[in-house]
Amino acid sequence: MNTHPSRPPLPSRGLALALILLAGAPTQAAAEPAPDLPFPVIERFENFGPDHGIPASKVHAVLKTTDAELWIGTWDGLCRREPSGNFRRFGPEHGLSHKMVLCLAEDQQTGDLWVGTMRGLNRVSAGRITAYTQTDSGLPNNVIYGVAVSGDRVWVATAAGAGELQLKTGTWKIYDHNNSLMHEPWCYAVTEAGDKIMIGVWGGGIVEHDPRLGSFKEHRDPDRDFHFDLVPDDGPINDITSWLAWENGVLWQCTYFGMSRYDGRNWKTWVEGKSPLLSNFTQFVWAHRGVAWIGMDRGLSVTDGITWVNYLVDDNDQGIQQIHRPNQPVEIKPMPTALANQFVLGLQVDDEEAWIATSKGLSRGILAAPTKLTRLSEATPDQRNQ
Amino acid sequence: MRRASLMLLGWLCGTLVAWGAYLERQPSAGVAPDERTLPPGAQPAAASPADFAYPYYGNTPPEMIPFREIEPHARYWIERLPFRGPGHDYPDPPDLKSLRVGLLSPAAYGPEGARGQRTRHGVLLAFEEANARRGPGQLPFELVEREDSPLWGSAANIAVEFADEQVLGFLGTIDGDATHVALRVALKIETYMINTSDPDPTLTETQIPWLTRVFPDDRQQGFRLADLVVRQHQCQRIVVFRESSRPGRVGVMHFVNYIRRLGVPPVQHLFFKPGDQQISTQLEAIKAANPDAVLFYGQPEDVGRFAAQFRAAGITARFFGFDRLMEEGFQTHAGPAAEGTTITYFFDLNRTDPPWVDFTARFEKRFGVKPDIYAAYGYDGANLMMEAIDHAGPNRFRIRDYLANLDEWSGVTGPMKFDGRWDNIAPFAIAKFREGQWHFEPPSAQPHSTGPLSRN
Repeated sequence: MNTHPSRPPLPSRGLALALILLAGAPTQAAAEPAPDLPFPVIERFENFGPDHGIPASKVHAVLKTTDAELWIGTWDGLCRREPSGNFRRFGPEHGLSHKMVLCLAEDQQTGDLWVGTMRGLNRVSAGRITAYTQTDSGLPNNVIYGVAVSGDRVWVATAAGAGELQLKTGTWKIYDHNNSLMHEPWCYAVTEAGDKIMIGVWGGGIVEHDPRLGSFKEHRDPDRDFHFDLVPDDGPINDITSWLAWENGVLWQCTYFGMSRYDGRNWKTWVEGKSPLLSNFTQFVWAHRGVAWIGMDRGLSVTDGITWVNYLVDDNDQGIQQIHRPNQPVEIKPMPTALANQFVLGLQVDDEEAWIATSKGLSRGILAAPTKLTRLSEATPDQRNQ
Repeated sequence: MRRASLMLLGWLCGTLVAWGAYLERQPSAGVAPDERTLPPGAQPAAASPADFAYPYYGNTPPEMIPFREIEPHARYWIERLPFRGPGHDYPDPPDLKSLRVGLLSPAAYGPEGARGQRTRHGVLLAFEEANARRGPGQLPFELVEREDSPLWGSAANIAVEFADEQVLGFLGTIDGDATHVALRVALKIETYMINTSDPDPTLTETQIPWLTRVFPDDRQQGFRLADLVVRQHQCQRIVVFRESSRPGRVGVMHFVNYIRRLGVPPVQHLFFKPGDQQISTQLEAIKAANPDAVLFYGQPEDVGRFAAQFRAAGITARFFGFDRLMEEGFQTHAGPAAEGTTITYFFDLNRTDPPWVDFTARFEKRFGVKPDIYAAYGYDGANLMMEAIDHAGPNRFRIRDYLANLDEWSGVTGPMKFDGRWDNIAPFAIAKFREGQWHFEPPSAQPHSTGPLSRN
């Protein structure tokens, strides 16, 4: 069992209740938002599974499109949430290239959905699914770990390099160890980063590509050794990149050895036991308003790099919220509901809600205060005055 | 009431301010201040091997470990990474007619094809014997075979096919590239892999808790060779001559680091392409370096040919190499130049203990040839996988638990000891080629080897 003395322990349900009673706070208050936090907290979770039409326990990916359609990629097909609240499945019998959906991306210009599976890339457009595979297109490999849309180009991270599909011409380019800085072409994440593309390489750190110049730049862990991280904040925590997210000039890197943040000049790294990061095994990160929502094998960590809020599930399936403020004791609260499962594989967060794909169902995180306040912030002056 | 209203108003104002700041915030351009909020006393103290649950750095001797005087910010694999996902309580698949295990073999026409076939024979024998032992009510084991192609990523597609075929685990393969990409798929399909033949040290450094490797890797050979070359033979001018390929690069990587940490960096580190005949440029440079030791890494035929050329050019340095030089191709191509070559090897093939003797007899009876280490580790890997299935039932997650929590296991290849990366760190023997034959020396004592691991 991987434990570390510095990690705040998960209280049992009874102990958590006793702590709350000792503090004189009612149970209901446990999930109330902490007013001093610089980002929203999840008040409770709503969970979705087979009863809602989700065909498999394992949900790999979740995507809410700009027109508020909710899509999920599962072990057994692509699903869309219907107005009834239930999910409708699309599988190989509907034209999907493989049942196992790993990643999703939206083309915000066209509304098309791009679906990466274990055997090919798919485009969902105007109610039709078009499949691209290694043998009938320029796709580098059939296993699609990541997909991103950047302008009129679709980028894929595959087991044999990164692929770039130019939508206007239908032509493909492949980037691997032969024509880029990757010394091994095992790509596991790709994200648009302003004018650039960031490619997460498994064993090669992060490759930064500038399509305008055709240039590549490599970000590697300076100690070049996997048995330790010699110095914190000196570069990517590790060269095995499992996911990337970029927002407003800030790049977040997931690895199975901890988490990294790069602002274009400086790196910041976090490891389990020496920071509030719940686990080194980080699998997915979503960046929203400068805050990283990090999915891992032990729950969900949310941070702006300074303050952290963690969401865990204890042995009794009790949801637990940990709040780590700088230089203050950790605040631990039980939650009225828990994540569907602690093994978090995908996320999408906006000002309204957080959607969390887990290995045993889908969760919707209901944001506490921010939901009301977002509405206030988005209201017209007249509405505010009413 | 009034007090409560004031409190509510205060809370609302505070929340509004906080949320407003959140909405307006832009990512800061600089480095965030230290966010650590650890309880008192949580600062890391300098660690010693006694603090570790598993041998550190693949059982590498302390003096060969990088930055050994410095406590790193974080260490990995001193404990095993747990799998925290669901699945242990999932019901067994319905209507099972057999217990399926995948076998990923290298392309028969590729450079590893012959070794892959020998692995396959070991696996086949294990399955045939296991099925012959099945009793009433026990489902038979079924091998689902796939052959890799020498294209990057092909093994990933095959691993997906294994998931489609609903295998309970899979075995394979030799090539480090193929095993790497298959392993990443193993994480996604949550299906355990036992590797029986890939020596790539980086394979298990990926922190994916769905792999056990029964085949001791090139890191283990690297520090054994470094000890042999630098300490035992007191060599000071070491040349590394290796294949220009990924296996060549990662194969000698640790040896080069180890001898450097022992104070004897290589005087030359040169490459050849597989199949090269003409190496006059490298030969001249190596001759000019006046080496007292040459470490080879490559296919045995290539190394044999170059060993002969080195001797013909008047190079008198001792020759060292990895396990593959025991294959017939080395001595055939080296001729008299093979004399005196010293290599690391997994164990003494002339062992007389009953498990090994019985296995070699059964294998020879079935296939008409004596087994080599690929057949032997293939046999052991297959038996270990079937043991896990029998123990855990047809549930991939419980099979994983059984295998990933294994610290020791014994097969026909000898006792195995698994470290925090799920690598078999059983010590290597030494073999010297003298008068047309390989002569074995037993493994030397190594740090952290707490159990009896000698195979001789």
